[in-house]
Amino acid sequence: MLQSVAVTFQVYMTLQPLKAIGNTLLKELVLAVLLLLGVSMVVFAILYTAPGDQFNILLEGLQPSEEARARVRDALGVPQAWYGQYFSWLLNVLSGNFGTSVRSGLPVAGELLNVSLNTLYLTLGSMFVTLLIAIPIALHSSVRGYSVTINWPLTMFGYLISAIPVFWMGYIAIYISIHGFAFFPLASLSQTPGENSWIYTLVPVLVLGLGSGSISEVIRSLREEMSRVMAEDYIRTARAKGASVWRHAFKEGFLIPVTGIIASKIPFILGGAVIVEQVFNWPGMGRMAWQAAQDRDFPVIMGIALIAAAFVRMGSLLQRLVYVAVNPQHSRD
Amino acid sequence: MKYYAQTRGEIGDYSKLPFRQKYALQDLLYIAYGLLIVALVLVSYVLGMFDLLPHDPLQINMSMLMAPPVSGGYLLGTDFMGRDILTRLIMGIQAYFLPGLLAVFISLSGGVLLGVLCGYRCGRTETIITYFTNLVDSFPRLVLILLVIAAFKPDIYYIMAVMGITAIPAVATAIANKIRFLAQKNYIEAAIALGLKTHVIILKHILWYNCRALLIIQATLGMGEAILLETSLSYLGFGVQEPVPSWGNMVQSGANYFLQGNFWPSTAPALAILFTILGFNLLGDGLNNILEDGRGK
Repeated sequence: MLQSVAVTFQVYMTLQPLKAIGNTLLKELVLAVLLLLGVSMVVFAILYTAPGDQFNILLEGLQPSEEARARVRDALGVPQAWYGQYFSWLLNVLSGNFGTSVRSGLPVAGELLNVSLNTLYLTLGSMFVTLLIAIPIALHSSVRGYSVTINWPLTMFGYLISAIPVFWMGYIAIYISIHGFAFFPLASLSQTPGENSWIYTLVPVLVLGLGSGSISEVIRSLREEMSRVMAEDYIRTARAKGASVWRHAFKEGFLIPVTGIIASKIPFILGGAVIVEQVFNWPGMGRMAWQAAQDRDFPVIMGIALIAAAFVRMGSLLQRLVYVAVNPQHSRD
Repeated sequence: MKYYAQTRGEIGDYSKLPFRQKYALQDLLYIAYGLLIVALVLVSYVLGMFDLLPHDPLQINMSMLMAPPVSGGYLLGTDFMGRDILTRLIMGIQAYFLPGLLAVFISLSGGVLLGVLCGYRCGRTETIITYFTNLVDSFPRLVLILLVIAAFKPDIYYIMAVMGITAIPAVATAIANKIRFLAQKNYIEAAIALGLKTHVIILKHILWYNCRALLIIQATLGMGEAILLETSLSYLGFGVQEPVPSWGNMVQSGANYFLQGNFWPSTAPALAILFTILGFNLLGDGLNNILEDGRGK
């Protein structure tokens, strides 16, 4: 009897984190939906207050009166009031219809799918580069303690790298790869895939990883958190027992700060992607957004804004899940 | 250092420490460099405003294309059309100075308002403000600005207004945290107990006595971000247009020559961007270390 109670209790305790994760997932999903609704409202409000009426094109040269405009709207079945327009637009977006591009006349959704995958590759790759550089530096300085000869140059390097304009860094990278390694990174994804064409794509990924300014922030926050954890009592105990210090420090000192900083940096990396894609002629969302802003191509840029916001929300959702999975107590706040 | 560690608490008396112990040398260097850059930007802005320039920024000299620095009376050389780079760098400050101040003003005033509301009122107000913060943070800044450019027009003041709004959450969070920290202090409690009016407590005892430094730091960092944004956008072709100079479009117009090995016309404005943003960031962080992090005061 007592044993079965103990077993039940044990099962209950092992399920506890899962329950916390489930609760958090639900809560965060609701929040994400609410925020994406807000995002869609902001996007629609900007579109709605934009000067110019696209129906003027239909009535070109007629000096249309308000009445004539209203009749054209009626005839085309376009709702008059703003909320009617908003909901019909929102329903379209939810069913995957982002409208057709003013420039190319093609449906936006299909094009967006292609380019967003390219951007995803660029941003994930650059994050990987950032972490690859930042993590060893941060861990080294937090474990070995502060030393002027190593830390000061690193701090200065962090400041410098976050102040370098990323487009100029892009030109340097292009120059080096042309004159030093004799290949032309601009051809990147737009060309037919040849042998080794993936090497071209490494240059923009490297540039964005170095130049998005997140390296110094990853170093700073990871170093602070890791140093804090290394000073905790349980690390001293682990060390005294001869247990692995790294295993004990991993969750609080490494996993939480790294996921936190990545989630908060996604918007900046996406913004940096706009410039890097421009420099390297990378067929991604940023370049498409740039083109759309030049052509005043509303449907495209609205779709991009929505998808970018969805990326950002997804990142912070994952971050919350990791946070709660590490310590289920956090699910209560 | 021991003395320093003891006095980190609330009662500590920093004013008795000698100057060298009170402030880290590193922070003082940061601030000195930052102030130098700010002074340079200010002087150059005024020079550009009154047309006190070494050359005409639009004057083309076909016999001196892409001259290296210090040649033929051009201190920093010439660009691909033989225009003086130094003059164009000075004029480039006109492109971001006032718009950047607008962005900083919007972010500070909005941030103070929301931060005070968020820190002082709990419950529903806080929830709404948190929602707003998350909403603004959901947009990559550059994408939101491209959306506004597409909808309205590529005007730098529109862009900087949007930039100011997107910078509100950071300021608001800093102010709200500060107020939550101050709320535990005895003198704020005493001010409430003395029956001071709420607006006096907020404006005088919280904002003026305790948030001055914070606001200056936020303004410095915000100006750095505004410069980065303006140069990025004029690089992308949405800010100031050729032939009017801005640091971003100078880098862009020198790019083709850069790849042929003529580095200078594109590198000079890039270095200007680098050192200016570095100056604003170092000034902000140095001030933060001295005024906010418990050292000094």
